[in-house]
Amino acid sequence: MRMLFTILCAAAALSAQSIDQAESMWKQHRYVESNDAFRALVAAHPRNAAYRVRWGRLFLERFNAPEAAKLFNEALEIDPKQADALLGLALVAAENYDAQAVEFAHKALQANPRLLEAQELLARLALEDSDPAKAAEEAHKALAMSANSTQARAILATIDWLNDKSVTPWDPHDGAAYETAGRILVLNRRYEEGIQLFRQAIAAQPDLWSAHSQLGINLMRLGREEEARAELELCYQNEYRDKPTVNTLTLMDSYKNFVTYKTDRTVLRLHKKEAELLHPYFEAEMLRALATYDKKYGYKLDRPVQVEVYPDHEDFAVRTMGMPGLGALGVTFGYVVAMDSPSGRPPGAFHWASTMWHELSHVYVLNMTNFRVPRWFTEGLAVHEETAASPEWGDRLDPHVIMALKDKKLLPVAELDRGFVRPTYPAQVVVSYFEAGRICDFIDTEWGWPKLLAMIHDFAGGASTPEAIQKELGIPPEEFDKRFMAALTAQTKKTVDGFDAWSKELKKVAAASKVHDNEAVIRDGSAIRDSYPDYVEAGNVYQFLADAYQAKGDKPAAVDELERYAKVGGRSPDTLKQLATLLEEAGNRKEAAEVLDRLNYIQPIDEDLHRRLGDLWLSLGNTAGAIREYQAVLAKAPTDPAASHFNLAKAYRTANRTVAAKDELLLSLEAAPGFRPAQKMLLELSK
Amino acid sequence: MKTLLALLLTAASLPATTYYVTVTGLGGEPDYEQHFSMWAKDIDKALKPAPDSKVETLVNATREQVRAALDAIAKQAQPQDALVLMLIGHGSFDGFEYKMNLSGPDLSAAELATLLDRIPATRQLLVDMTSSSGGAIEALRKSNRVIITATKNGSEKNATVFARYWVEALSDPAADSDKNDVVSALEAFRFADKRTVAFYEQQNRLATEHAVLEDTGKGEGVRVPSPENGEGLLAAQFPLLRIGATAAAAKDPAKLQLIARKEALEQQIDKLKYDKAAIPPDEYKKQLGALLLQLAQTQEAIDK
Repeated sequence: MRMLFTILCAAAALSAQSIDQAESMWKQHRYVESNDAFRALVAAHPRNAAYRVRWGRLFLERFNAPEAAKLFNEALEIDPKQADALLGLALVAAENYDAQAVEFAHKALQANPRLLEAQELLARLALEDSDPAKAAEEAHKALAMSANSTQARAILATIDWLNDKSVTPWDPHDGAAYETAGRILVLNRRYEEGIQLFRQAIAAQPDLWSAHSQLGINLMRLGREEEARAELELCYQNEYRDKPTVNTLTLMDSYKNFVTYKTDRTVLRLHKKEAELLHPYFEAEMLRALATYDKKYGYKLDRPVQVEVYPDHEDFAVRTMGMPGLGALGVTFGYVVAMDSPSGRPPGAFHWASTMWHELSHVYVLNMTNFRVPRWFTEGLAVHEETAASPEWGDRLDPHVIMALKDKKLLPVAELDRGFVRPTYPAQVVVSYFEAGRICDFIDTEWGWPKLLAMIHDFAGGASTPEAIQKELGIPPEEFDKRFMAALTAQTKKTVDGFDAWSKELKKVAAASKVHDNEAVIRDGSAIRDSYPDYVEAGNVYQFLADAYQAKGDKPAAVDELERYAKVGGRSPDTLKQLATLLEEAGNRKEAAEVLDRLNYIQPIDEDLHRRLGDLWLSLGNTAGAIREYQAVLAKAPTDPAASHFNLAKAYRTANRTVAAKDELLLSLEAAPGFRPAQKMLLELSK
Repeated sequence: MKTLLALLLTAASLPATTYYVTVTGLGGEPDYEQHFSMWAKDIDKALKPAPDSKVETLVNATREQVRAALDAIAKQAQPQDALVLMLIGHGSFDGFEYKMNLSGPDLSAAELATLLDRIPATRQLLVDMTSSSGGAIEALRKSNRVIITATKNGSEKNATVFARYWVEALSDPAADSDKNDVVSALEAFRFADKRTVAFYEQQNRLATEHAVLEDTGKGEGVRVPSPENGEGLLAAQFPLLRIGATAAAAKDPAKLQLIARKEALEQQIDKLKYDKAAIPPDEYKKQLGALLLQLAQTQEAIDK
């Protein structure tokens, strides 16, 4: 008995010593040893939930949220009311802008009403959700728990800073608290102020590497790369190597592979493997969009806009890391836009010009409001601009949105920001983009563009969404919601109500198409086509119908279907090329060229497209267009260099640019000295 | 004269008879069956008009049918003839042996080598466009035989698209990159490979096939045949398809002097291009322009 008592005492002493050791090593940044100590502790005390939670917090701090969540869940299996484990899960969810963060934080507080960190988290989450009143309420609760809560003070101070009160009684005078404030300012796209707060955080606590990392990342976002690199390398040297830090450094290293083109108004950064090809298209579209927006917004940007185009989606993703929402195609940081290249997406999945116009709209709205604009409004206006630029651009009514409309999941306008920042169902960000876009469309239609412009100025002056709506539209937001929903329902009712039947019928049409039952395809496809006209994705009814008509030899009917497809916004390169071929065969070369030209804004990395379009433009007398297209063919090592140079020579010759024509002829004949057509032209030009 | 003879034997003239055999194997799925069959028919269509050719296409063939077709050629062909065998379908490689999947028993690379070795046609081109086809090179390589495979080795097991672009090489004039009206095996390989690479790039997919060419009889197959790696010489001289009227002038004795002049100019152009890096750009351009103009004038005289 005595011996057993001795063993138990020894085990208890070892345990106490080990947890202290684990925590102490953690504090000394000896993470590997701390991790080993926790592992040993958990192995020795498998039923101790608290040890697992602390180990989980170590993982969370060292950038491994999945492993942390696993440990928190294991702790909850041992003790379902372990408050710190619930808090841990709330923190993991908060990192990912997951709506469950709030729920877990509340559960943690239920389990332990004195858990200050959970209360502080609730205040932060409310402010991230753009609900300052709720955030202040939660922050005051935290202060009631502990008057020294710097995080609670940070939230209250941030509310003041967001409202442009530079002097606040809540200034936390603490590094981590300034960092929290900085992150929320960045979340509100107020990058400069965020950067300033990260600097304050570092001044207060020079070894706060997370703040150094945030400073570096946000400097990089604004294009200040030298200082950004210095900050990030400092983090790296001090073993702060979370994904955003490491990936941003990697991305900056890859900039040597990019080429920069500048005009008075634009800076365009393209990957060298596609720079020569994309440059003319992207630069022309940037200048066109800027000229349009100058007039439309009545605002002149005070410096060039930089657009960075990433062929590797992972590189682009680094730009959006740690940001809420989709950020899927493009993102704007003040005067810097980062976006996917068309080569980074499957053909037809991405309309780069539409994305560029979307992002450039943000540049205007963010700068006009000095970044004081609700997320829903700037996104909504950007979506509105996509279809304003061309009715065929922009995103269509997709099945996710139809389901949200059916289930009445759209948010009131005053709460719409929540749908972007902390979605409560997987498709909510997509649905929120749609809703915001349609709200701006609705305001434009019912009240006119000047009201949208006036709302931008209201937001610049610090107005909230309800205030701006009341002031400019003359109705309270609740009334606006009613009118908007009535209009939207009228527009979409046929599609929403008929969606289930349409889905069933489309499957039948697809099955009929597979067995080449053209009559059934035409009969059933025509019957459902107009109940959901926006559906232009793979397996769309237009394609089935066109194929069926073509199989029957009825090419005009096939053209009709494919023209409908193109008009409604269909983007498949193969389908649009099919339409161009049919039009060309029917002698409609101009229409065929216009269809192919659409593809330049969708998937311009296509030699066949440029060659065909060059031929069409040349035959139609559009020599400038032909030159551009033939140059595009040559920009990316064509399959047939001799013919490609010769085509360009023909276009130059037609444009009376004889010297350039001769140069191209030499290049053609250098590749194939015996190329007869080129020889013939050389003789003609040499006479 | 010696070089003229070589020229006439290579690019400008085709062997006495070219035997073309296209075989499609088991698709396994309707989509593959349909594609394999369609590509084979397109090849058949492109080759049928070729002069001095015998074209046979075996869709969804059995091993016996392949044996029978190659045995028949073995009986007819002469040393000066050429054989082009094109395989479309799925293949497999177990680390030791490559097999083409056919209806019934499969056809191994070793057995195929035996069948080809029996054919007297000196020059042979095998285009194996199946998955894992790179695994067949070791068993099939031989002096005077050009081997093109859709995959670089036997472990690239996914279904391939190379055949689709090989078909295009036989019908798209762009494949004739030197514009001499003959698509050589090397030109067709480069064309199809380039399009295959572009396919994966455009689809934003990781490439699961990397075509290679072997024509030394002892190599592994290379992605980019060049003088540096010694591959591609035989393939460059293997006329796969004539796409225009060529060599008519060569039959006219009155024009032999002009043809000799043309040949000399072409050689000067080749040499100038070879020395390009050592010549100042303006000087290079001037010399090239002068030579190309003389060549064009000579060609014009030949064509009269």
